[in-house]
Amino acid sequence: MSTFISFVLAIISSMLIDNVVLSRFYGICPFLGVSRKVKSSLGMGIAVVFVIILATCICWPLYTYVLEPAEIPFMDTVAYILVIASLVQLVGLFIKKYSPSLYKSLGIYLPLITTNCAVLGVVQSNTDQGLTFLNALANGIGTSVGFLVVIVVFSCIRVRLESANTPKAFKGLPIALITAAIMAIAFMGLQGLFSGIKL
Amino acid sequence: MEILWAVLILLGLGLLLGLGLAIAEKILHVKEDERIDEVAKRLPNYNCGSCGYAGCKGLAEAIVTGKEESLRKCKPGKEDQNFKPIIEYLDQHPNEDGTKVKVHL
Repeated sequence: MSTFISFVLAIISSMLIDNVVLSRFYGICPFLGVSRKVKSSLGMGIAVVFVIILATCICWPLYTYVLEPAEIPFMDTVAYILVIASLVQLVGLFIKKYSPSLYKSLGIYLPLITTNCAVLGVVQSNTDQGLTFLNALANGIGTSVGFLVVIVVFSCIRVRLESANTPKAFKGLPIALITAAIMAIAFMGLQGLFSGIKL
Repeated sequence: MEILWAVLILLGLGLLLGLGLAIAEKILHVKEDERIDEVAKRLPNYNCGSCGYAGCKGLAEAIVTGKEESLRKCKPGKEDQNFKPIIEYLDQHPNEDGTKVKVHL
């Protein structure tokens, strides 16, 4: 199979089958915290896409060409966090400059992308599994776009839930958690998507 | 030897990223009313959120832009330590058109 097709398949597989939020349970904090409005969840999703793809592009070479030859692969987590934190700072500056309203609506969740385990999880698993750069990139793109899709879909559902007649005890977060669980079950249905294709 | 390399590489990485951020900060600088920072400095800075804003900076911005007039919104603030210096500062630093920022206890 050509490289391109396997690249696309790897993106789709880490986006839908191994969805970062619904089957690996990373990044739940922004998933629940910023999904009250569609606009801010879209902003959050795009910011995370940007951070994850850039972090993958920086951390993979950093591990392979600097940490590994210097025989200090045990420092990987610390180095990754350093890179991710500065990237988040950069994204924050960008958003503050070009969209102050988005900056305000993201609030504390913007710097919290630093501790979004989806970002560190992707970067770490890329090097732990010893993926090639292309596969690592596909994993990064797929995971982050998967996060974007799921958080936007979830926020659309939550906007509808606001006006729905939920029992008082379930109003707000409880019904959101139940919704997330049902979404996770729905995503389990995609498990056998590539079973007929030989990779 | 490994430890030395670890320290040196992380140091270099930090330096590089810090330099990049400093340059980005210069390019993407946003002009802000400096009175917001000054008022925020005089608030308790617990960032407790009991005023209804995201943090002390949020309340300071609301005070300076005139959205919030009552300083009592800040629950942990003390009259002598926080509120009086803010009123004094805003008294000395009026808006650009000469009108004063309306605040009271």
